[in-house]
Amino acid sequence: MNEHISMRVNSARLSGIKGRTVRLPCKVLRMTLPSFEASDGGQVEIQRKNVDMTATYVEVIGNVVDASTIKAMATLPLDSEGELDMQLVNDVIELTFESRFDKLFPRYKDT
Amino acid sequence: MSQLSAGICRRLNEAPQEEIDQLASGHTVQLLSIKKVAPTTTSTTATDRFRIIISDGVHFVQAMLATQLNDLVANGDINKNTVVIIDKLACNFVQDKRLIIILDLHVVSRNEEKIGTPTAPPSTQDAPAPAVLEATSSSVTSPATSSSTGQAKPIQPQPRTGPSGRGGRSVYPIEGLSPYQNNWTIKARVTQKSDIRTWSNQRGEGKLFNVTLMDESGEIRGTGFNAVVDELYEKFEEGKVYYISKARVNLAKKKFSNLQNDYELSLEKNTEVEECLETTSVPMMKYNFVELSSLEKLERDNTCDVIGVIKEVGPLGEITSKATNRTIPKRDLTIVDMSQYSVRLTLWGKQAEQFAADDLPVVAFKGVKVGDFGGRTLSMVSSSIMTISPDIEEAHLLRGWYDGIGTEKNFQSHTSGSSGASFGGFNRNEMRHLSDVKESQLGMSDKAEFFSTRATIMHIKSENISYPACPTQGCNKKVVDLGSGWKCEKCDKTFERPEYRYIMSMAVADWSGQAWLQGFNEAGLAVFGKTADEVHEIKERNEAEYNALMAQASGVTFNFSCRAKQDTYNDQTRVRYGISRITSLDYHEEAKHFVNLLKSPWAQ
Repeated sequence: MNEHISMRVNSARLSGIKGRTVRLPCKVLRMTLPSFEASDGGQVEIQRKNVDMTATYVEVIGNVVDASTIKAMATLPLDSEGELDMQLVNDVIELTFESRFDKLFPRYKDT
Repeated sequence: MSQLSAGICRRLNEAPQEEIDQLASGHTVQLLSIKKVAPTTTSTTATDRFRIIISDGVHFVQAMLATQLNDLVANGDINKNTVVIIDKLACNFVQDKRLIIILDLHVVSRNEEKIGTPTAPPSTQDAPAPAVLEATSSSVTSPATSSSTGQAKPIQPQPRTGPSGRGGRSVYPIEGLSPYQNNWTIKARVTQKSDIRTWSNQRGEGKLFNVTLMDESGEIRGTGFNAVVDELYEKFEEGKVYYISKARVNLAKKKFSNLQNDYELSLEKNTEVEECLETTSVPMMKYNFVELSSLEKLERDNTCDVIGVIKEVGPLGEITSKATNRTIPKRDLTIVDMSQYSVRLTLWGKQAEQFAADDLPVVAFKGVKVGDFGGRTLSMVSSSIMTISPDIEEAHLLRGWYDGIGTEKNFQSHTSGSSGASFGGFNRNEMRHLSDVKESQLGMSDKAEFFSTRATIMHIKSENISYPACPTQGCNKKVVDLGSGWKCEKCDKTFERPEYRYIMSMAVADWSGQAWLQGFNEAGLAVFGKTADEVHEIKERNEAEYNALMAQASGVTFNFSCRAKQDTYNDQTRVRYGISRITSLDYHEEAKHFVNLLKSPWAQ
């Protein structure tokens, strides 16, 4: 079970976890050159081949290639009736990484 | 046999105040009798007082023994027929009667025979008859207490007064009134006169009226009962100044008055009220205005003074008093002031009916009560005073301000109803979970209590989901099917078709427990998204569809604002939870709330 950890991250958090699987909730900025805005405003490049991306807000599940690129494995549409409040999403993401919640959320093992 | 100072008694009886002081010491008298006086209700001390009769062999007079000499009686040092020399005495003049008090004496000899045949001295009205005793006994303790501290304080410079000649009388300030001094005159303006009120309770019945009297030093309330009402009610006129004396000063009954004074006056049969024609030195109303913006700081039931511009005059309405089952007219005004706040103020009774100021005047209110219905409200009580367009500086300032910029301003209202507790609004910060609600026995006392909770609908009782109601706006009474139509008993009207309204019982649950909530039309609309008429129709038409609808509504989570109240049904008393408000979850709102909560100190 431990191998299939995928934490929700924003663009800043990508840097420490190269090679891991992560989830990135983001807003689709353009369809042509895959450029997505993460919840903290940073831009991330998503490499994907046959992955569907028609919604405005998506959660990309994929592998971290480098600090600004993710190789997508799957995407989930996140649209709700109004705009998705990225500020709120970011707050939650940051909260999940706080040490007081270590027992609630999985942590990446450094191997 | 000792030699008594003959003639001293007569002198004591007749001499004016100044001479008495000189007569004070050195005279030999015989004590003919010593009697203990029962302390009257006005006395605050529990010590005994002794009344003695002193004789000079020719005459005798009554006197009181100062309390510091009580020991002499207790020890038996002085008793009947003891001859003493008075070292110090005082004379108090109380209500035209003189009262001699022996402050210090020493014994000459005891066990003597009665010397001479003293008689009552030939005096004017101060005959030492028992009548004198009775009249002075009640006032004996009070001035005596002040004199027992060793000072002979004459109360008034003129001991004997006629009915007139008041011009020269010195006037007391109202602040200086106390039960210990009875010979005072105050010069005050009647700032408020109440109506004659009758009451009847178990102990009897009667009538009374109140006045509020004011001078430069302060205010005091005066009350007259029964016979006094007939005598004095017409005499007092609001706004006029009177000389008042010979009323009784009592401790104030704070329950019936909201004035600051510790004392109040009881107007009696012998109270003298004389109109004063030179009113220059008596001030007009004194106010202590509170800004409307700071009304929130005042507690409910406090009184305050406010001044403001009447922005809105409500229509005359009526309300039925549950206590007396009588209808009372009321009228709401909205006033605003320079703090840019507005507040609602209620007038009652005659004032509500007679209020006729249509032109947005400046009005000053004194002694209005603060309430907390929907924020803050103000209400006139019987002792409140309303003055339209008063000639005072604050009024002029307000007039200038309002005419200049006030009309356009938007005012912050005190009727925001933001106090979640009493208004049944959803209060996220005070949410409870269902087991907490049950354990803390909310609603077990006779009063209704409110709480907010978030729970999921588990089951809706589908047998009785709605009832036929009267379609008249505002009337939701159940209508009866007469066959030819549906009749509403309250409106006395018949309708072809009723309007169905929801009445639901549903079981809701959260992580901690389950509870049954009762909801009405509003709740049903939120849960089903359809009107009761529609649902009723589905139920009649297609049972399967109806059941599907019920199932669809289950499992949905809502925020509930509920009211818990005790109900007795066929001898069974149970707490029922009624839904006052139901709202669907706005996940965004809730999530933001949680994030804030996690970031707050509580979560650290």
